Amino acid sequence: MSQGVIANTEPRPPAGLSGVLLLLTGLLGLAALASLLWGAGDVGASRALAVLFGVGDEEARFVVETLRLPRTLIGIAVGLALGVSGALLQAVSRNPLAEPGLLGVSAGAAFAVAVALWLGASAATLRVAVAQVGALVGCLSVMSVVRLRGLGDDPVRLVLAGAAFSALLASLTSLLLLFDQRTADEIRFWVVGSLAGRRLDDLMAVLPSLALALVVTGLIARPLAALALGERVASGLGHRPGRVRALVVLAVALLVGAATAIAGPIAFVGLVVPFAARSLAGPDIRRTLWLCLPLGPLMVLSADVVSRLVVAPSELSLGVLTALVGAPVLVAVVRARRLPVL
Amino acid sequence: MSPMSETVPMLRRGDAVPRPAPVPPPPGCWRLARGEWHLLIERRALAVGLSLLALLLAASLAYLCLGQQWLSPAGAWVALHGEGDVMAAFVVQELRLPRLLAAWLTGAAFALAGCLMQALARNRLATPGIIGIDNGATAFAVASVVGLGASLAPPAMALAGAATAAAVTFGVASGGDTRGYRFIVAGIGIGAVFGAVTQVLLARVDIDTANAAYPWTVGTLNARPGGAVTILALGLAVGWPLALGLARSLSLMRFSDAVARGLGVGLRRRRAQVLALSVLLTALAVAVAGPVGMVALIGPEIARSLASPRGVPLTASALAGALVMVLADLTGRLLLAPIELPVGIVTAVVGGPWLLWILMRPAKRKSP
Amino acid sequence: MSVSLSKTPFLVGACLAAAFTVASGVAQARNLDTAHGQVEVPDAPERVVTLYEGALDASLAAGVMPVGAVTTRGGDDVARYIEPHLDDERPSIVGVVREVNMEAVVAERPDLILAGPRLADAQYALLSKIAPTVVPESPGITPEAWKAEARQYGRALGREAAVNDAIDGVETRAAEMAERLDAGDIDATANLVRWMPQGPLVMSDQLFSTGLLAAVGLEVDAAGLLNGRGVHSDPLSLENLSRLQGDWLFLATLNEEGDEALAAAEESPAFARLPVVENGRVVPVDGQLWTSANGPLAAEAILDDIEAALLP
Repeated sequence: MSQGVIANTEPRPPAGLSGVLLLLTGLLGLAALASLLWGAGDVGASRALAVLFGVGDEEARFVVETLRLPRTLIGIAVGLALGVSGALLQAVSRNPLAEPGLLGVSAGAAFAVAVALWLGASAATLRVAVAQVGALVGCLSVMSVVRLRGLGDDPVRLVLAGAAFSALLASLTSLLLLFDQRTADEIRFWVVGSLAGRRLDDLMAVLPSLALALVVTGLIARPLAALALGERVASGLGHRPGRVRALVVLAVALLVGAATAIAGPIAFVGLVVPFAARSLAGPDIRRTLWLCLPLGPLMVLSADVVSRLVVAPSELSLGVLTALVGAPVLVAVVRARRLPVL
Repeated sequence: MSPMSETVPMLRRGDAVPRPAPVPPPPGCWRLARGEWHLLIERRALAVGLSLLALLLAASLAYLCLGQQWLSPAGAWVALHGEGDVMAAFVVQELRLPRLLAAWLTGAAFALAGCLMQALARNRLATPGIIGIDNGATAFAVASVVGLGASLAPPAMALAGAATAAAVTFGVASGGDTRGYRFIVAGIGIGAVFGAVTQVLLARVDIDTANAAYPWTVGTLNARPGGAVTILALGLAVGWPLALGLARSLSLMRFSDAVARGLGVGLRRRRAQVLALSVLLTALAVAVAGPVGMVALIGPEIARSLASPRGVPLTASALAGALVMVLADLTGRLLLAPIELPVGIVTAVVGGPWLLWILMRPAKRKSP
Repeated sequence: MSVSLSKTPFLVGACLAAAFTVASGVAQARNLDTAHGQVEVPDAPERVVTLYEGALDASLAAGVMPVGAVTTRGGDDVARYIEPHLDDERPSIVGVVREVNMEAVVAERPDLILAGPRLADAQYALLSKIAPTVVPESPGITPEAWKAEARQYGRALGREAAVNDAIDGVETRAAEMAERLDAGDIDATANLVRWMPQGPLVMSDQLFSTGLLAAVGLEVDAAGLLNGRGVHSDPLSLENLSRLQGDWLFLATLNEEGDEALAAAEESPAFARLPVVENGRVVPVDGQLWTSANGPLAAEAILDDIEAALLP
């Protein structure tokens, strides 16, 4: 179960990762640049490039500075949050399939927002808080399934529980829609995640909780790696497994809640990113977390750029693209001869 | 040579064959014997089946009596025979009875399919709806309603969608491996893709068309296409006996693979058969009612809590599924009248908390 | 238009048949061509159930108060613009557009059912057993479709003249408004959009309400934004918002306070910098009326909106 991990037991900073990390950060930079240069509109790469050098025309400056720049920043934040939350969730549940979207954590957040919309709330900050509470509830449900039913050794059962949980929330959402068609009309567009039309204010509203979640993640990376060796080992090393799990749940709820509040439910990022990170850096959570930092934004930004271009002058929803990318990865994970147990 | 045979006296030709001393039936069973044929009837299963059947009949009677127009049982009986008040006769014969039949059939098919897949995966959450079969059907039916692939009617497209989802899943998961787990996870992924496609389709059309597609996204029994019901009836008539034929293998498959194999179960083939049957029943039911996947969870759950833990309660599941469907649709018709609540929403709201309870409940036994 | 013309020979036949049955003293009935073939409808239906917003509108315009109707989208009763046309008696609710309660329809004991052009076949099969059910042959999504539908409902009700008068009234008023706008030297263009947080949905120029905008002389330019597709666009990318070049912007919402939607839209910098917004020429309108309804009464109400905005 833990042979792969034993090789990496010594607590050390991710040595030998700096090359990969640098490369990925470079790629992320390129993706961010692409996100600034290309859009569904008439402002093409050359005009946008001129803006970056401070000489562009007024229209191009507006598009790049007011529309694409916030969108790019928000994409980075969302990717960061989802990638890291996926890695955390997979580490604590020792399950390579654990993903906020698949486990219903995102659905919990989205449902909470739908209820808030239904009750008439619309303020951005309130939406963030509501989404985070929803994510927390979803996360706790999933964790209690893991703990109570001892599913840690069976990756598929956890995913099934998550799928069932998501189905439940989807049904409850349809119930809301039946009672209120106005909400229905808005939610029709809201249940598929997207980065379009989000403003920097929205990002500001979630930044504090994002920062807090990342700090918590930094603190628990080491105990989490110890936990991967088993509860006894972790206790022997002076960590308290219960507290570590509680902190993970908190961090995941903050991250997923924040991402969902800005962008709506975006599935599969939390699956694909840690999967890629593991195949680059091995199973040690301390190393994968580092790689998730550039990989998450990289995936979200690339998908977002594609979503702007395929049906211009309109845009496709980001959530659809991540699902299209994510489903094959999911299949690839389970096609592996044995499901790896983290 | 068994020790029993020594006690059997030698027989000469022409002697009346004495009956071998009857083996006492296992506890809790009756044995019916006639000539060479023996039938072991598990008393508990029989009692459960009969009481579920009685409940189903009682619920069906209520279903025929209650609604916008309330009838006495006697009145409903008269109306059922086309006598008495013309309006009552129409309501019972043309509206309530076909809908009741659709509820029976879809409920039984969903629950039977759910029970099969649960037994296969040894997991009570593994139902066709959860692993994306319903999503495929919904995406195709919605595509038909919004005008893509309009050459086929929505029920046919739903059937095609369920089949496509299953085939793609089979394809990428390369058949039924151990416990069909690969199949299940692949199905969840494929289901997510179909779900996203449905959302895109709905977001791209005007609200009139989105409304027309609505029944296919929630599941309803209101004014369902008659042809699809007939096909479902035929499918169930074939599928139910097939399922019962697979029951012995299924109950052995609850043990570890080695035990099952030792008892002579061809695991790979059996698993593929169970999966195929489960998917087929679901597809036929979805073509009638849309995605009412929660029944596939609730029906078998009721059956398991009533029946003995010895076998796989296929018949009890089907009866319980039909019962749940009838009661849920009756509730949906009555609760907010004259507005109808689609049966899919009723089952979700009732089944949701139940599902959470199943998820949260500490495991009492090791195997489900 | 062409649809109603092609019906004329048949209509004559139908009238003859009706006259014949009257003469012979049999129950009075007429035959009507519908999307589901010929349907025999009573001469003067008294208990009408409408299962479509346009059918309710046409019935009221023809002077027939339905005994049953479905709720409008976004509400739990008939549309708000219908309210002034109801008196003490009002249709009882028999379900929502997407889930018609068949038993409630039966309970009204209708002698005529008017349904929408998108009625599912299975529903038609049941409804036509309850009472003659008229599903209009819809010419598809064109600005003139509502007239053909309303006329067909009028024929079903035996009151085609009243419906024709109502439609003529709308046409006359639109032409008159067009003249006044022309005189006011407003050579204007307009767009109809629904606001979504991701961007606006640009509504097609082939709709009922945009057709009326065109009828009063406003040029509705949506073709370039719709990407050659049906009824409305996907949410238009905010980057392309500047393509909304119309002089007037009609902003539809499904809730009552259109101003709220306007406020939400104005929070978006891309929206706020549109010339039409800076000129204060954004008109918040009721989406129930502008994007869900159709029929002569709805047309009058929409013309009211246009008049209030453009010809104060």
